[in-house]
Amino acid sequence: MTAALTVTSMSKSFAGPRVLNDVSLSIEPGEIRALVGENGSGKSTLIKILAGFHLPDEGSAEVDGQPLPLGNGASSETLGLRFVHQDLGLVNNLDAVDNMALGVGYPSFRGGIRWRQERKRARKALADLGYHFDVRRTVDRLAMSERTALAVARAMGPRQAQPKVLVLDEPTANLPAAEAERLFQLAKRVADSGVAVMFVSHHFDEVFGLAHSVTVLRDGQHVITRPVAGLTEDGLIELVIGRQLEQVHHDAKAAERKAIVLEVGGLECGVLNDVDLAVHAGEIVGVAGITGSGRDEVARALFGGLERSGEVKINGAVVPPLRPDRAMAMGMGLVPAERHANAAFMASTLRENVTVVRPGTYWRGGILRKSAERSDVAKWLERLDVRPREPEFTMADLSGGNQQKVVLARWLRLEPKVLVLDEPTQGVDVGAKSDIHKLVDEAAAQGTAVLVASTDHEELVRLCHRVLVFRRGRIADEIFGGRMDHDVITAATIGRDQAGAA
Amino acid sequence: MTVDKQATSEPGVEREAGGQSAHGRRKLFVVLGFDRFSGLYVWAALILIFSLWVPNLFDTANNARIIAGSQAITAMVAMGLIVPVACGAFDLSIAGTLGVSCCVVIWFQANHHGWFLGIIVALLVGLVVGLVNSLIVVRLHVDSFIGTLGMSSILLAGTEWITGGGQIANGISPTFTAIGQKQIIGLPLPVFYMIALAIVLWWLLEYTPVGRYLYGIGGNPQAARLAGIRVGRITTGAFLLSGLVAAFSGIILAAQIGSASPDVGGPYLLPAFSAVFLGATQVFPGRVNVPGTLIAIFLLATGVKGLQLAGAPAYINDLFNGAALIIAVALAARAYASQRKA
Repeated sequence: MTAALTVTSMSKSFAGPRVLNDVSLSIEPGEIRALVGENGSGKSTLIKILAGFHLPDEGSAEVDGQPLPLGNGASSETLGLRFVHQDLGLVNNLDAVDNMALGVGYPSFRGGIRWRQERKRARKALADLGYHFDVRRTVDRLAMSERTALAVARAMGPRQAQPKVLVLDEPTANLPAAEAERLFQLAKRVADSGVAVMFVSHHFDEVFGLAHSVTVLRDGQHVITRPVAGLTEDGLIELVIGRQLEQVHHDAKAAERKAIVLEVGGLECGVLNDVDLAVHAGEIVGVAGITGSGRDEVARALFGGLERSGEVKINGAVVPPLRPDRAMAMGMGLVPAERHANAAFMASTLRENVTVVRPGTYWRGGILRKSAERSDVAKWLERLDVRPREPEFTMADLSGGNQQKVVLARWLRLEPKVLVLDEPTQGVDVGAKSDIHKLVDEAAAQGTAVLVASTDHEELVRLCHRVLVFRRGRIADEIFGGRMDHDVITAATIGRDQAGAA
Repeated sequence: MTVDKQATSEPGVEREAGGQSAHGRRKLFVVLGFDRFSGLYVWAALILIFSLWVPNLFDTANNARIIAGSQAITAMVAMGLIVPVACGAFDLSIAGTLGVSCCVVIWFQANHHGWFLGIIVALLVGLVVGLVNSLIVVRLHVDSFIGTLGMSSILLAGTEWITGGGQIANGISPTFTAIGQKQIIGLPLPVFYMIALAIVLWWLLEYTPVGRYLYGIGGNPQAARLAGIRVGRITTGAFLLSGLVAAFSGIILAAQIGSASPDVGGPYLLPAFSAVFLGATQVFPGRVNVPGTLIAIFLLATGVKGLQLAGAPAYINDLFNGAALIIAVALAARAYASQRKA
């Protein structure tokens, strides 16, 4: 039987070391293959090459024995190689019928569209996958699993050739556990119809519950492809990380247990479900987790950027939800992720970017004293080593690392009781990164309670006294002391705890 | 609102001035203030041109006084508009508010209720319009352009209703018209109101925290929220202010012309927007500001007046203002783009 998908010696580098190095694999029709690996292992690059988004340096691929022209998205589709990417690619204000026609069009009948027939067709495609919902509802009113099913139904549509291979990129990343189960059934149905299914996932319950076989990539190389049967979770973690997990002793940062400054009880926001946590004065607590675990919502939920329920207290005083101004008045500061969208006023000066949170500091005699403001800001720019050190320069003229320092200065100037950082060194060069870490250390040393959410596990190890690991909206693990290690954190975000955890 | 859009390109390292001679040229450019005060230079050039072209008609002090007087109302409306535009909202209802306010204060006098009460009610109308605008934009999340456009139509209906479709000019108290027509040192009072308003708004925008919040919201509303700025509250205040200023301007206009008619407000809309956007390229380039707007108003008025004196037809006003608006926004976009290229 011809393999549904064959990849041969695929290699790719982006101006530097190879991100994909001589990777080969093959999948049989009806097989469900899990593609597993850490961030940076090369799996997203492989998917993008197959989707025609990148051209590999070397290598080839075949779908059902036919050579796959690379670097061309359309040809993948016509050969039967179909994709459902993480963002699903649906248009929210159109209904299911229209979304299924995206990129394909409708068969026209004397210049018009036969809507009844199209609706029937859409309903059937969804029913084949085990889903029955109103195809006239717009996508933004569908549940996440229904949307994913719709994206799969679209991918599975005929279009000049029957689908042979379905690639799902982190299909359950944004799904709560119950809906994820439904998606497993869907994937099985697709495989039963003879289509090969390859899915990328960080969730071990999917790998073990759904896949027949697993391919592990590490540092751009193919480590192993083997049946799931007989593989243990620990075994899989070792394959992903590349070594056995021992107890690693680092210079564990110990914090004298001072008073609790930030207290969170029953936090619910997005996927976050009933989360309790506390941060003491001078403590740096990390928040880790993969996409969809809730890690990316914690920071904004606490500060009031997202709708939430539950109780957040600073020094015993309750912080109302959705009120960043109140959170700020009560001593909380937030350095948000994606500074371009959430923190930086690109067209404003550095001075304005720093003082925007409390310009009233310079209010005297009925006007803002700009010279006092300027010299104060200059001091902060000096202290944080921002380059160029000119308060009147425009934010957009600075490099990412310097911009981040300006945002950090904004909050440090207020001497917050609680400092929340979301991906603090995202898009920041190595030098600025180290500077920012030192500044966070200093803030904590002065008694600030710090919460850092980050996908950079090395950063968490460098900064934190302890790390809270989130999985599917809840705190699944707390890592501190002897377990503070990049790989331990990674393992905790994607699987179960190591046996013999502290 | 900052006239320019958010930077979409990656901010790079500090930009090179680019070549020795280019650097030298650029320095001279900046020192002479061409980038920030080009409007003043153009204005001076226009005065020069017209003084030579229509000498006996143009450069009389009288002419200058006439221009100042006639532009005072437009200038005030435009300055009121700066505040919502700074925080990213369009207020297309200002002309309608001006019209209704003018009609109200005239109607009160024509019906013997007194000009004082008329002024109070007219100002209240301005506040109410601002409040409704803010409810529509902040609570109902209607786009400000659409929302205030609808409001302006409603206000037009309002002027039709108050005036009964025609002009009202009876029962106007001379004390009232003195507010708009009396002259001090040869300048009509409205010029002084304009100067006072300019000072207040300049202070508000440049020297108070509220001014920072306004520009912050206009620059990046999401970041403004996460910097603890109360976006809804500030936006509401901005609409209230522009409504109040428009109403005040309507009262002064009523005093100036001593009558009210349904279409009295319409002609003020586009010149106000042209001035605000053209003004955003001056003095504090990249954002709407008071001195820039004033320069723009008088620049445009001088140009139009000069052309009219030189025999241009009446419609030159609309042509000039329309062209100025387009050129202003295009210049701003180009300046922004070249600045952002690292």
